[in-house]
Amino acid sequence: MSRCRIFCLLALALLLVILFRPALAWPQDARGRSATTAVASGGRVTFAETIAPIVYANCVTCHRPGEAAPFSLMSYEDVAKRGALIAKVTAARYMPPWHAAHGYGEFADERRLTDAQIAAIGEWVRQGMPRGDDAKMPRLPEFADGWHLGKPDLILEMPVSYGVPAAGPDQFRNFVIPTKLAEDKWVRAVEFRPSARKVVHHAIFSWIKGGSAAARDGADGKPGFAGIGLPSLGDANSGPLGGWATGGTPAFLPEGLAGRLPAGSDFVLQIHFHLSGKPETERSLVGFYFADKAPERTLINVDAPALFSFGKGLDIAPGVKDFSVDDSVVLPVDVRAYGVTAHAHYLGKAMKADATLPDGTTRPLLWIADWDFNWQDSYRYKQPFDLPKGTRIDVKVVYDNSTDNPRNPRNPPRRVKFGLQSRDEMGAVSLMATAKTKDDEQALITFLGERARTAGQAGFKNGDLARVQQDLRVAEAPSQRITLVDRQGASLATMGDPGLFAQPAFSPDGTRVAAILTNRDSGYRNVWVYDADGKGKALTAGEEPDSTPVWSPDGRQIAYVRADADTNGIYISAADGSGRAELAYKHTDGAPLFLTDWSNAGLLCFWTGDTLYVLPLKGDRKPVQLFKGRAGRISPDGRLIAYSDNNGGGPMKTYVRPLNLSAPATEAVQVYDGTALGGLVWRADGKALTFTSLQVLQISGVWQVEIIDTPTLAVGKPQMLFKPVGVGTPAQLSNFATRDLERFVTLVPVR
Amino acid sequence: MAISIRLHRLLWFGIMLCPVVLAAADRARDLQLGDVRGGVVKPFASGAQASVAFFVATDCPVSNAYAPEIQRVCRDYSARGVACSLIYEDIDTTPHSSTLLQQVRGHLDEFKYTSMPAALDEDRAAAGAVKASITPTAVVVDRGGNIRYRGRIDNLYAALGKTRQQITSHDVRDALDAVLAGRPVPHPNTEPIGCFITDPALLRTHAHE
Repeated sequence: MSRCRIFCLLALALLLVILFRPALAWPQDARGRSATTAVASGGRVTFAETIAPIVYANCVTCHRPGEAAPFSLMSYEDVAKRGALIAKVTAARYMPPWHAAHGYGEFADERRLTDAQIAAIGEWVRQGMPRGDDAKMPRLPEFADGWHLGKPDLILEMPVSYGVPAAGPDQFRNFVIPTKLAEDKWVRAVEFRPSARKVVHHAIFSWIKGGSAAARDGADGKPGFAGIGLPSLGDANSGPLGGWATGGTPAFLPEGLAGRLPAGSDFVLQIHFHLSGKPETERSLVGFYFADKAPERTLINVDAPALFSFGKGLDIAPGVKDFSVDDSVVLPVDVRAYGVTAHAHYLGKAMKADATLPDGTTRPLLWIADWDFNWQDSYRYKQPFDLPKGTRIDVKVVYDNSTDNPRNPRNPPRRVKFGLQSRDEMGAVSLMATAKTKDDEQALITFLGERARTAGQAGFKNGDLARVQQDLRVAEAPSQRITLVDRQGASLATMGDPGLFAQPAFSPDGTRVAAILTNRDSGYRNVWVYDADGKGKALTAGEEPDSTPVWSPDGRQIAYVRADADTNGIYISAADGSGRAELAYKHTDGAPLFLTDWSNAGLLCFWTGDTLYVLPLKGDRKPVQLFKGRAGRISPDGRLIAYSDNNGGGPMKTYVRPLNLSAPATEAVQVYDGTALGGLVWRADGKALTFTSLQVLQISGVWQVEIIDTPTLAVGKPQMLFKPVGVGTPAQLSNFATRDLERFVTLVPVR
Repeated sequence: MAISIRLHRLLWFGIMLCPVVLAAADRARDLQLGDVRGGVVKPFASGAQASVAFFVATDCPVSNAYAPEIQRVCRDYSARGVACSLIYEDIDTTPHSSTLLQQVRGHLDEFKYTSMPAALDEDRAAAGAVKASITPTAVVVDRGGNIRYRGRIDNLYAALGKTRQQITSHDVRDALDAVLAGRPVPHPNTEPIGCFITDPALLRTHAHE
């Protein structure tokens, strides 16, 4: 392995270390609760004496005006109206929300009603919800307006508002806010004040090196960027700062602990939005409370599996109900445990962590029996406790990829591997701890770094890294607008909404455009067709990626490539989307296959590896291998083929030669002295051809050259037309110009 | 828990009542409520190709989350002659308070229910006539005013607080398609998930003691 590769792996490992960890600052816990109010069996239960104390102590933190819960529970009327519902949800322990198994680890501020309290509510509803004597009603708790922890040392606001739509899947959005700090600060607490509390379900805080998310921020034309991964690039370049969930109130870290917020860093606010049925606008405020000096000890996450299962071989077959990942970590030094968090995506079902001390005694750390992605709480232990060197922590994370899991993002279920997207999986339990002595701190950090490095190498080998990189590429690519330009490159018209496009192609009459559109949320790549009014319509759907649409000569059909695990199918669909797609040919070699032409004579032309093929659509549809080359384009009369080739590793050149399927290839004529690759479109009369020139791997121009067919094949002097802002990869293009070579379809970034 | 057993029984009892619901169709067919924006609403009347009524409440997060889908269903089926209405099951300890009416009107604006007939069913005449006990519940009647479907809108919710990432059963749309095509509705009764419709009598017994 080269030095660079090792470095990159390390960087990635560290990147993943910091993903998804609402640690370092305390979870913002719900308020304290009053003691249980017992109900004498058979006695009359009234709101004033029995129910109000329960509701005020356990429900109104969230169920009051301006808070996230859907309705208030501040008065007799509020509660009685919903008595049956409250009895049901408390009996089912759906409310108050708390997902750690009771008794499996002792947590501070556990949101939990006693059995007696639940029984009292049920009994009260059964008795017809008597009001009781108002004089005996407890006082409503008082809630501080404004900042709970006093005036913050630093207040950051989202630079612009974010529009939250009315309906659709939950959104995960990251907002980048420059801190403009001149020096490092130590954060004792972060207080989060969302503006649209009805739709903000939880938030995760982190910092990144200033400017490092610039490529992703706003890439899709909206503030921030989508995704549940953070854009961090290395150990020194990012760090966690805790989180907030519905019902949370801010708290200072215990025992003088603090998290670092470096000078010049950007604060990244990741918000999970639950859509409410109507549009909302979010513009959050975040308050920071700083310590005077660096803390004596650093809070460290001990993750199992390391890197949230990156490289762990997560590969969950469809239909599997109990896919279990086990991992153990033996502590290299004495540590003090303060809290614990868990993470998985929608297939996550359960997670459990236990510690076995060197003397053989065991201690439960956390058990979430019914994982809910919506409640990514951090759990703070009631009393911090020590785990001696040699303690083994055993973690089990269980996934359910069957249709019995209602949260399964896909139906029917599909094979799922490690990834950053919510349709992918990852999972771990993280113990939030410090080294017990300052001397041991570095040893603990080194040990965890080594675990992460090992996982990183495994992820490089098993393909996890490649998938993560692909996701990041999509996330960082700016949206483009399909833009029609003239021969000087001047804009004539645009089509459709901005998106992530590839391989745009004109219909033969030049009125419509087919292109591949990547959906940023799902990652799906499908064929879209845009009509003369610029309206777009999906021609294909689904997860298998589509590519290289080409139009039939009559404009009625579109052929494209659809890839699955190890085959490439060439499909043909009606251009208006009617009927079913027809599989024209299946290429069983898994290498990428690019379709670049559908000739007047009914030949499809594609290239894979470095070799050109034609596929006659008549007869038995056996592909004919031509010769080395790519981006093949057949002349309108079918007698010539234009293509590009690098002659075994040299610069790309573009050629024209006679096309004869039954005879050996004859001499080719080079159309341009410089580097030229693809972008080949024949004029309808067959006497001119476009191509694109490259300089340092960038498209430097769109050209036109005259083609002289008789008496001998020859070319005229190439003429540069314009330098396009963007067209995609030229070797994958088909009709990127109209047949009169008067208009070109380009992809212009919109940021 | 005793209460949940009791609720289950109620629910079971409700399912057993199906034939009664159908028999009660006459009562539903003639039902007439005041539209909160003026005029009257006859949610289960005969005449249209089919009618669908949605039982909702202004403070029920589940029926609120369905607002866009309710509007889509109504838009998609209005061209096929389907009449739509909203029936609010809000309640107050003080009967017929004007604030409740204002609350419903505000909700219509807030959730962009622009043109749909909407009634406030404070006395539970509509809920009682078709035995709706949860918001949201959808009730579909055919052109003869016969109840053909009662239940959830779709299977987005697997339980309270547990939503599917992908909806796999579009029950109201399937029911409307069947009724319009003159076919039997495949599952005429489904279990809605959401908020309970409170019995006003129960609420008001002890409210002012």
